[in-house]
Amino acid sequence: MTYWRQPLDRDRVQVPRGIVHIIEERCKGCGFCVEFCPQRVLVMSKHTNPKGYHPPELIDDSHCVNCGLCALLCPDFAIYVENGGTYPPDEVDTIRRTEAK
Amino acid sequence: MPEKGMRRSERLHMMGYEPPDRSDWVTGLHPMDDLLRGERLPHIWCQGCGLGTALTTFIAALQWLERERGWDMDKVAVVSGIGCTGRIAGYVRLDSFHTTHGRAIPFATGLKLANPEMKVIVISGDGDMAGIGGNHLIHAARRNLDITVICVNNFNYGMTGGQAGPTTPHEARAVTAQYGNFEYPFNLPYLAAASGASFVARWTVLHARRLEWTLREAMEHPGFSFVEVIAPCSTAYARWNPEGRGMDPEHLRRRGLEVMKYYKAAGRITHDTHPKDAGVKVDEKGLITEIVEGKFLQEVRPDLQEALDHLAARADKWWQVEKKALDDRPHLPKSSSHVPRTEVQLGGFGGQGIISAGKIIGQAAAIYDGLEVCFTQSYGPEARGGAAGSQVVLGSDPIHHPHLIQPSTMIIMSQGAYAKYLSFLAPNGVLLIDDGLVELAEDHRQDITTYGLPATRIAEKLGNNRAANTVMLGFWTAIAGAVSQDAMRQSVAESVPPKTIDVNMKAFDEGYRKGIEVLDRS
Repeated sequence: MTYWRQPLDRDRVQVPRGIVHIIEERCKGCGFCVEFCPQRVLVMSKHTNPKGYHPPELIDDSHCVNCGLCALLCPDFAIYVENGGTYPPDEVDTIRRTEAK
Repeated sequence: MPEKGMRRSERLHMMGYEPPDRSDWVTGLHPMDDLLRGERLPHIWCQGCGLGTALTTFIAALQWLERERGWDMDKVAVVSGIGCTGRIAGYVRLDSFHTTHGRAIPFATGLKLANPEMKVIVISGDGDMAGIGGNHLIHAARRNLDITVICVNNFNYGMTGGQAGPTTPHEARAVTAQYGNFEYPFNLPYLAAASGASFVARWTVLHARRLEWTLREAMEHPGFSFVEVIAPCSTAYARWNPEGRGMDPEHLRRRGLEVMKYYKAAGRITHDTHPKDAGVKVDEKGLITEIVEGKFLQEVRPDLQEALDHLAARADKWWQVEKKALDDRPHLPKSSSHVPRTEVQLGGFGGQGIISAGKIIGQAAAIYDGLEVCFTQSYGPEARGGAAGSQVVLGSDPIHHPHLIQPSTMIIMSQGAYAKYLSFLAPNGVLLIDDGLVELAEDHRQDITTYGLPATRIAEKLGNNRAANTVMLGFWTAIAGAVSQDAMRQSVAESVPPKTIDVNMKAFDEGYRKGIEVLDRS
């Protein structure tokens, strides 16, 4: 995360991280999770599931903050987020930098 | 053969039914699967339908309550009616019941009152709640019954193809309103609040997080809680209305999503708004311009169960007093002789105590003489002065027909009753009249025995003309002989007001004496 100034509690804040699981065969491709993800970590995929719908696809796991909105909005119980622990902001930045390579 | 008392599974097994193999149920893929019937997934709801999200938030709220508040999921029941939303009862792995159309709340009422420890949640659609079951909704709200009602509103009858319903906005299109709906819709939170609901909220499914919080609160709320959940109907309603971009081919597969985006733009979260102002606002083309959301009302009042318990405790106190009075009654020797079926018709006008007299006969025969008795009454709509009649059937044998077949004795205390009932009296029957009030017709029946007694005048002389019926009862007791004198005296004494017991006992004895005199004479 980049800041235009250093927050005073930066050393104390922990950023949660989520691990997204997509159950592709349940998906009906409504697109709610892709549209309303606050961190924009999902896109509609090009491939189809056995029912002929395009399931979502994860583009950037490292930005997921485990808010769980996709799991709550999904009408088909096809996506959920697992708690991936919390990291200090500096470490998150490191993870993202290494994963971006 | 299946026998009573067998377990249901054993009975089904004997009838040749084998339960499905549950090992292939699709469970455990998703954290919510332990509250879902995995074998029924995927559900029938269309792509982009909001019902799935409503179910997700509901289950999330339940899981939170289980985790944080220690709710026992075996004590949670879901009841739903007919419609797309009604399918929810079939998808949750909880005690659930899918009722007939509109009757989810009556079922839930019975369930809750019989099992006060259960948490009963009704999830149904707008057509089921406000249309077919509208009356049940307002009356459950009026009683403040401790259930949670989640009404998923998609503005039309979705399952049957998108007909206009009680919540379709004015001017919005539907399959049966192609030029726009000319009716005005319900404002459901206002309806519920006005009817007496003590918790009222509305959210769209887009605001899933807040909806989940509200559902938690609603389910914990003691009293009737009503949550309206606005959900897109991607196939039916969104096809005809601009929120879902209508028939625009580019958005054909994304109508539900387009409606959700629309909700994001139109939603106005204003808690504690007066429900009157919380309508779904539409423009002149039926396009929804504003959806007021939030928690509108939350107040704690005694719920139905509490009121019922309170009243039952008070009623029990009264009953203990009444029971003591009943227990203290004297026990008279029961008559051992066989009494054949005897039918008595009493007739007069209202205020004479005709119905009380019938009741006194019945009470004497049933309680003190140990006979079988049936008592019926008929009277006009007027409290006093109209025609009144009562019928008593008594005898030692069980009574298989409760009404009079052919009365053998009649007590007639008015001219109108004389004209009305005389023809029913059996041949050789006995007619007792108050001959101060009734004048016999010129062609009076000759096949019966008629005895007259100026009962009202006698009662007047004794000091209370309202004891005329008691005089007639004494007269009847002596002549008919079906009920013992002691039983009748006891019954009269406990039926009349305490201050008039003396005059009534005198009246009864006077009537009885006259009866014996008349019998001796003939």
